[in-house]
Amino acid sequence: MAPNDNSSRERLPIDPATMRPLPATAHPGYYPGFSTLGQQDFWDAATREVVRQRVEETPPIRFFNDEEARFMGIVCDHLLPQDDRDLAHRIPILSFIDERLFLGKTPGYRFESMPPDGDAYRLGMQAIEQMAQRNFDRNFLALTWREQDDLLKSIHDAKPLPGAEEIWERMPIQRYFALVLQDCAEMYYAHPWAWDEIGFGGPAYPRGYMRLERGEAEPWEVAERRYEWSVRPDVWVSDPKEEDIAAHQEHPPAGQGGTH
Amino acid sequence: MQRLDVSSMQRYSPNDEIDYLVVGVGAAGGVILQRLARAGFRVAGLEAGPFWDTERDWVSDEKGSHQLYWEDMRITSGSHPLTFGANNSGKGVGGGSVHWAAFTPRFHPSDFEIYTRDGVGVDWPMSYWDLKPYYELLELEMPVAGPAWYPWGHPHGYAYGPHPMGGVGNALIKGCTSLGIGVSIGGPVAILSGSRNDRPHCIYRGFCIQGCKVGAKASTLITHVPDALHNGAEVRDRSMAHRVHLGKNNRVTGVSYFDRERNEHFQKAKAVIISGYAIETPRLLLNSGLANSSGTVGRYLMAQAGNVVLGRFDELVRQYKAPPAHALTEEFYETDPTRDFARGFAIQTVGPLPISFAKQMMAARGEWGWGMRRAMMDYNHWASLGVLGEILPWADNRVTLSDERDQFGIPIPHIHFDLYDNDKKLIEFAKNKTEEIMRAAGANEIAQEARFAHLVGAARMGSDPGTSVVDKFGRTHDIANLFVCDGSILPTQGSANPGLTIQALAARTADYLISQGTSVFHSDQRDLTDPPVRRELSPPGTHGKGVPRLA
Repeated sequence: MAPNDNSSRERLPIDPATMRPLPATAHPGYYPGFSTLGQQDFWDAATREVVRQRVEETPPIRFFNDEEARFMGIVCDHLLPQDDRDLAHRIPILSFIDERLFLGKTPGYRFESMPPDGDAYRLGMQAIEQMAQRNFDRNFLALTWREQDDLLKSIHDAKPLPGAEEIWERMPIQRYFALVLQDCAEMYYAHPWAWDEIGFGGPAYPRGYMRLERGEAEPWEVAERRYEWSVRPDVWVSDPKEEDIAAHQEHPPAGQGGTH
Repeated sequence: MQRLDVSSMQRYSPNDEIDYLVVGVGAAGGVILQRLARAGFRVAGLEAGPFWDTERDWVSDEKGSHQLYWEDMRITSGSHPLTFGANNSGKGVGGGSVHWAAFTPRFHPSDFEIYTRDGVGVDWPMSYWDLKPYYELLELEMPVAGPAWYPWGHPHGYAYGPHPMGGVGNALIKGCTSLGIGVSIGGPVAILSGSRNDRPHCIYRGFCIQGCKVGAKASTLITHVPDALHNGAEVRDRSMAHRVHLGKNNRVTGVSYFDRERNEHFQKAKAVIISGYAIETPRLLLNSGLANSSGTVGRYLMAQAGNVVLGRFDELVRQYKAPPAHALTEEFYETDPTRDFARGFAIQTVGPLPISFAKQMMAARGEWGWGMRRAMMDYNHWASLGVLGEILPWADNRVTLSDERDQFGIPIPHIHFDLYDNDKKLIEFAKNKTEEIMRAAGANEIAQEARFAHLVGAARMGSDPGTSVVDKFGRTHDIANLFVCDGSILPTQGSANPGLTIQALAARTADYLISQGTSVFHSDQRDLTDPPVRRELSPPGTHGKGVPRLA
């Protein structure tokens, strides 16, 4: 299945000065012209092959059925929106999540309170659908973009709209949201187009880095060129404000990454 | 690049009664195999994961490196459930030493007697001075790069020069220095700052925990396993041990394991050494029903507080460059009577790559949607410092067996982990101190991710067979020819990354076994005399090298 192709102009990020939409591009972010793939001649063969496959061979949908794939595709578009990317440069997050679930790959643990990952995905969809029906009398997919975003924000905030109490008793809501968002983030930021967007140097063997201090760029990296952007508040709430972040930091959940 | 030729490796048949069978060829298993082989014993290691061809199998890529981690299912629970996989568990020859960040501080002398000093935890059945010669040996065998003068604990220096600084180290130095806090730069890390023998120096690409394709970072795959094979050891890879067998006279006879096709085999051995680390070692003992007369197998599991404090700077940092581990302070390591908790913590550089950083932004700031995209576009402006704090050993933090089974039909482990009052106070203080340093470095926004790092304990050593699993040489109190050699024997954990201590203990256990000759194979006598230090067992070209020459 292709990455989302249900774009609409109202969902584009805007220039906060003019409130006009910023056009979708092949390469959002503050590092115009930076291409990690352009450096692949300096990578080792094994790494080149792994990254090539990621870019060129989108795995087929095998875990989700058609309806589930449509549903989860929309959820992913809220959790990690890509409307600022043109259609040819969207990262097929859902296909990579589907591949993980289909192959039964796990991160090496499961919280006792959580069902197996694949079951959690299906239970989560059921909960979202029940919440949509209860609060809007419509299917989740029939809601407006803002309504969908509001519903998902209520899960993110662990203050769910009514309708799925029984499911959230069986499955801790914060762990469910973290599971899906972490998967989205892993699939998106594994892609070289995302590396170009954030200015990450990418694979660096055998050449390595030579300029380590003061954030200096290697000769083949590019300087940062920032621009202002925001999103339309009547369409999106999935853009935490300073007060949201401060409130979150009062009681942050434990992280799950490996850094040291 | 160093290549390992396994075609001429010794291969024993399951009916050969070898001397020592080591289960798990990781940080500890690699060292003890090498020592025992060099001393002339007939030894083999069973390793659940593969023998790596690092050039072919490893990639310079975050998502592509999951094969290095132990990702078989584990169930986790408690008030602060631990996470596993990439966080702390390795699979394949070299084990966790393949994907560690390679910080190698020693434990402090105080770590061996925290009950005597502070009335918390438990004392070790040995002192710092018993382990010191092995710290010195392993620091040369890996080898460790670091400053010529390291002021904390028992002050010492490193034989190989420190590494240049990355952006995160600069932040730590700046923050610490402006607050009058001492800081160690460029190490101690087990990463080559200059080429040595057939190993090249670091190229500062930042993918340490994805496995060092360069060969600059020490793992037993390149530091000890080659010498083990050269001296006649066998490493049988993709071999998942599931039961240690008890024979006549309360002595173990060998180990059952599944090969890569899931066929079951039994390898005979005169003695068995379990080196499976803090989850798989108690799991194997529990699944075998052995060595648990004290009821402590699986108990006193520890992880260190590993909170990450993230700071955003106006200027660029580019924290993906340089080894994540390259500077630290142990200024807050010891118990301070003016604080309301016992023991302390270290603060160290970390260098999350984009996927890890995105997960941190989620946990620390609640970022999602466009907020996540926005936060990630600032990736290059953030620096990350990791707390490494001592959490005390608690009986109910433990590994048990669950009702679920893995792909081989073996019961999978269940891990329960809670924090207690001293732990919580320590974490709160450490987090605040690290934030203070980050602000002093010039960060204008701070975020903090609560998490845990490393695993030790769950088969602890002690003098009392009623409250511990093994004696000070790793021999199980219950069975005279069954040993544990890995991080699971640690009674307490200090605030130092455990890798160096795990390997130093393995070298000491090896010296003990060698000093016992063949008596381990037939006698139940338990000789607790300390063995002589055998420096001649170091891999060739390591002992006495480096400038300045130490030890």
